[in-house]
Amino acid sequence: MLFSGGGGYWLRAETDAGDGDIVRAVLAGDRERYAELVDRYRDRYARYAARMLGSTDAAEDAVQDAFVRAFDQLAQCQDPNKFVGWFFLILRNRCFAEQRRTRTTAPLEAADGVATQERADEVAETVERRRALQHALLDLTPEQREVFVLKHVEGLSYQEIAERLSTSVPSLKMRMHRAYDRLREQLREHT
Amino acid sequence: MNEREFHPEVRRLLDGEITIADLPLELRVEGEEALRLLAAVDRTPVSLPAVTWRVMAALERRRQRVRWSWLLVPALAMAAALVLWIVRPSAVGPSAAGNVVTVRFVLVAPGAQHVSLAGTFNHWDPRATPLVRSGAGDLWTATLSLPPGQHQYAFVVDGTRWVPDPTAPAVDDGFGRRNSVLTL
Repeated sequence: MLFSGGGGYWLRAETDAGDGDIVRAVLAGDRERYAELVDRYRDRYARYAARMLGSTDAAEDAVQDAFVRAFDQLAQCQDPNKFVGWFFLILRNRCFAEQRRTRTTAPLEAADGVATQERADEVAETVERRRALQHALLDLTPEQREVFVLKHVEGLSYQEIAERLSTSVPSLKMRMHRAYDRLREQLREHT
Repeated sequence: MNEREFHPEVRRLLDGEITIADLPLELRVEGEEALRLLAAVDRTPVSLPAVTWRVMAALERRRQRVRWSWLLVPALAMAAALVLWIVRPSAVGPSAAGNVVTVRFVLVAPGAQHVSLAGTFNHWDPRATPLVRSGAGDLWTATLSLPPGQHQYAFVVDGTRWVPDPTAPAVDDGFGRRNSVLTL
């Protein structure tokens, strides 16, 4: 089996250094250590971005762009030990901006992008349900979609989501309940 | 209640606060509909292995541009001065030949005896750019200085096996193989 990579940055021994240590090293001029942070968190939020944007390709662009922006603004990361929470907010803004940009253009194409990743051993009915739900998710507002993705795809509790987004649990629940009703309506129309 | 809206108790089921057994009988059908909705959630992990080198390449590209923009200012000032002094504009100005990006190609190829790189930058000659084995391991590397632009390439293992880079975008070469694409 062969593993390869152009650019030479991705193949590297992982370190146990904390996020704060790496951020401080990068700010001190050791730019290449930023790759450790990218390695560490690129996949953690890949699924969030893919479900928010409706396709893995769009997610890849968003995650890449968010990491580049985070690098540019690294000096503004007030607590380097909490880099990941700070980075998530940059990625979130990038996803919301992308959704506003593409909302009127191609949400259905985006949904098809996710559907092409269906696993071979899944029955057609499950795949169809997933496709229908992904279409319905893309019809929610970005705020509704986000709370649904964080709770039901990423598995976070309301309390964890509230801390991450600096909001209240009752406000999140209201958003989520609207999302449930809208999804129900959309799925009924689909069937 | 609008029948498009879930009953508040069913919302609690969706939120994971109760189970379907906690619902009164008249809400069970609605509860099952809610659970079917959750069952359709796709939690398949998504992996983006190419993002690391794409991010670092983007940062490196920008650094090269910044470096050149800093060099360009005094160079242009000098050029302007020389133009005024000797009226020979062709004698001055920065050389595009120095504007290159350093890229390291890496391949882990267990059991390989020889690995090389073939691409648009060496006229697809598999003998032109051999990779160097790192110690006694399976790691092969080559560092090239390439001009900005798009390059296509593939690894060649033991002179016969052409291997595209799975972490890079690829295009069909028109002969049934895939070429990796590196944009600098």
